[in-house]
Amino acid sequence: MSLRLKLLALGLATLVLPWAGCRYAREMEAALREGEQTSLQAVAQTIAASLQGRTDLLYREPQLPSDSAPDTASPEPATTAATPPRDRPAPGPYDLRPLALTAAPLIDGYSDDWPHEPASWKHFSRDPHHDFGILSGVYERMLYVLLEVHDEHPVFDAPGSNWLEPATFGDRVWIGYEDRQGEEHQVFLAASGPGALTARRIESGEYGEQRALIEPRVRGAWQPTKDGYRVEIRLPLSMLGERFGVLVDDRDKRGAAPVSYGSLRSEDLHTLGRLVVAAPELGSYLAQFMQPGMKIAVAAADGHVLAHADALTQARSLGAAPPLLARLYRRFVDRPGAPRYIEARAPIYDRDHGEVIGGLEVTQTADLWLRLRDRALTHMLNFTLGTSIAAVTLMFAFAAWLALRLARLRRASESALTRAGLVTAFPEMTARDELGDVARSFSTLLARLNAYTDYLRTLAGKLAHEIRTPLTIVRSSLENLEAEPAGDAARTYLERARQGSERLNAILLAMGAASRVEEAIGSAERVQFDLVVVLDSAIAAYRSAFPARAFVTELPSDPIMLHGAPDLIVQMLDKLIDNAVDFSTPGATISVRLSLEPGAAVIEVENPGPPLPAHLQGRLFESLWQSRPDGDSRPHFGLGLYIVRLIAEFHGGEATAASLPGEAGVRISVRLPR
Amino acid sequence: MKRLIAIVEDEAAIRDNYAAAFTREGYAVRCYADRAQAMAACAARLPDLAVIDISLADEPEGGFELCRQLRALSAELPIIFLTARDSELDAVSGLRLGADDFLTKDLSLAHLTARVHALFRRVDALRRPETASEILQRGPLTLDAERMQAQWDGQVVLLSLTEFWIVHALARHPGHVRNRQQLMDAANVVLDDNTITSHVKRIRRKFQSIDPKFDCVQTVYGMGYRWVE
Repeated sequence: MSLRLKLLALGLATLVLPWAGCRYAREMEAALREGEQTSLQAVAQTIAASLQGRTDLLYREPQLPSDSAPDTASPEPATTAATPPRDRPAPGPYDLRPLALTAAPLIDGYSDDWPHEPASWKHFSRDPHHDFGILSGVYERMLYVLLEVHDEHPVFDAPGSNWLEPATFGDRVWIGYEDRQGEEHQVFLAASGPGALTARRIESGEYGEQRALIEPRVRGAWQPTKDGYRVEIRLPLSMLGERFGVLVDDRDKRGAAPVSYGSLRSEDLHTLGRLVVAAPELGSYLAQFMQPGMKIAVAAADGHVLAHADALTQARSLGAAPPLLARLYRRFVDRPGAPRYIEARAPIYDRDHGEVIGGLEVTQTADLWLRLRDRALTHMLNFTLGTSIAAVTLMFAFAAWLALRLARLRRASESALTRAGLVTAFPEMTARDELGDVARSFSTLLARLNAYTDYLRTLAGKLAHEIRTPLTIVRSSLENLEAEPAGDAARTYLERARQGSERLNAILLAMGAASRVEEAIGSAERVQFDLVVVLDSAIAAYRSAFPARAFVTELPSDPIMLHGAPDLIVQMLDKLIDNAVDFSTPGATISVRLSLEPGAAVIEVENPGPPLPAHLQGRLFESLWQSRPDGDSRPHFGLGLYIVRLIAEFHGGEATAASLPGEAGVRISVRLPR
Repeated sequence: MKRLIAIVEDEAAIRDNYAAAFTREGYAVRCYADRAQAMAACAARLPDLAVIDISLADEPEGGFELCRQLRALSAELPIIFLTARDSELDAVSGLRLGADDFLTKDLSLAHLTARVHALFRRVDALRRPETASEILQRGPLTLDAERMQAQWDGQVVLLSLTEFWIVHALARHPGHVRNRQQLMDAANVVLDDNTITSHVKRIRRKFQSIDPKFDCVQTVYGMGYRWVE
């Protein structure tokens, strides 16, 4: 795994940031929801507390004069005992529980603008042929009543007739109610055709005569249905007290005896049922707590909704749809099935806090805080994803840069070993970081190695120089001794000592050879000369110098002019031939070839013998390296091929060695550029 | 009266050995270990020949300075540098300061005394009126073996003793190749290839300074040199 990939993986690890962000957003949402729930609960309890004992609002019961305001400040039983709770009658079968309508139905006799709530219908019947359903509702200060009467033969009143003349009576609908003072009243609605209905009440005149006066506050409409008719009535709540009932007079024909049934006593039209409805003020009372996206509903103890204020849908229209990115983010965060609403319920107690008279339910849409969460989420995810991308990019770039620097360092260290010694100039050496330290350490190491190599290279020369003085002492002493009279035995030892000192001297000369060649190279003069002639005459000399070896030459017939030092070339050739002779056996054939390559002359010297040891490849031309067969008595310091290299490099060329095919020997080539 | 040889050498053993050898040959020898001593003594009485080491005690180049001072005292005093230093640069410097020969300590005592004899012979010959006995004439080259003097077209070529002997060995048999060993024998010296090469180079340069067209010393690569007329 390359450094680049490693750092990339490391950079990708920062993706845990957005992930953690999502987790955080979820937790934040949960916390927010909880907080909202708590505050909503508080709101619900506050509103519920403010409604404590307000039966006047909830049930339109008359308020006690001594206690006109909700008394939450003195909940002690002692105080409440003074004003015993009013007995609220148990729910009766005739009670009407109007729906809290969200819109006013049009009084036209059609039911399509009523909510479709079959459970809220109340049915009254006399027998299977006579029954009606009643649905009531309250909107603002009006009570709406819808009657679905099952009547096979709807009978209209005779139009334009006296409303009190029994012979003209058709089907009639009676409404009985108590007013706020507790007095009972009745009005009837008689249809003389489909359409609007007028309500009338019967009053006794000054002289006992009865009159059917139009009751303008009550409006109605009549429409036939497929198995009867439908009556829609509206009347203001202000005229209504606690009791309310409806009676249907069903006549088979005009003027016949009616079949009466409903929630009024048919004998005296006494109102049997109660109208369980909140005061109209309750709606406006609730409205003051309203906020967009909220719904407040007050229900009776049995769960029947008395009044509500609804602004749930208002919040949705606020603001534009969330941006695409936010919607995408939301997919990661949203948990399916999370409720989109929060609800809080609080009981409404009666005055002495003993009995629950109703319940308050506050609903709030989650849209508001979802939007809040979305905004925070979007910001956070944008930020963290951006951070991640930046981190990954930066890390990748950094890794690439680092890899580049390392590669440069590696290349430099690989190519540090040159012919001219070790290169100590490294890239990154000026860098102030650890890589720079490495480069500097490399450089220092190589410089020391260089110094050491130099020391080794010059060691032979220095040693030769240092040994020369004591050797001179030995030799001059020996020579003086030879001049002195001595016995034959002494002469023998003297001769041995002299031979030994000669050998030492030869060793010294060999040791200093490289430095002398280096010096000679330093002072060499370049001339234009013919390499062919030089080689030719030199090889002639080798033939006489090494009679035990056969020399085969391959020289071009045309002159090869070279700009250089012919003396040095001959010295180089000397070393090459020396080498070839040393590594071949007597009688072997040494071949010398001079050929012309594009831009260079190539001298090749081949000798049969052992192949190059593999471990010596490339080091053969270094100072003090040698691979000699044992038992060679002549002093060798591995300087021969080093001198070859020095001279080849002086001419801008290079020397290489290779084993001959079949490991039959060695070929040393010297390339001399022209 | 014995000829006086001054040996200036900081290595006592070598100094004494050389002194013993010269004494044996019948010379009077004075030994000095450093430049100040040697200079003081030589100023008092000039020796007939001086053998000087280059590095003297604490003066690495003290021999050169001494050579300069001695040469200032006398233009004719034969001076031989005998040193462990064998660099080309040292040889050139020494000869340029007017030394008659520049020898390394590899040289045997026999060779050294041969040189000393030769130098004294030259001094004697220079003092005598010119005789034609040992004159070798090769074209423009005239070699006076007695005075160890070479002339090219009548002009004196200032050669060191070694150089003279090399030229002499070559010119005696023109056209014959003299290999390195033969040249070394002739010059009473043990030299390695590079030193021979540089000697030959110096010889050529000295002749060329008189006659730029000089090309009589020819290299026979791998073998040696020959004199071509």
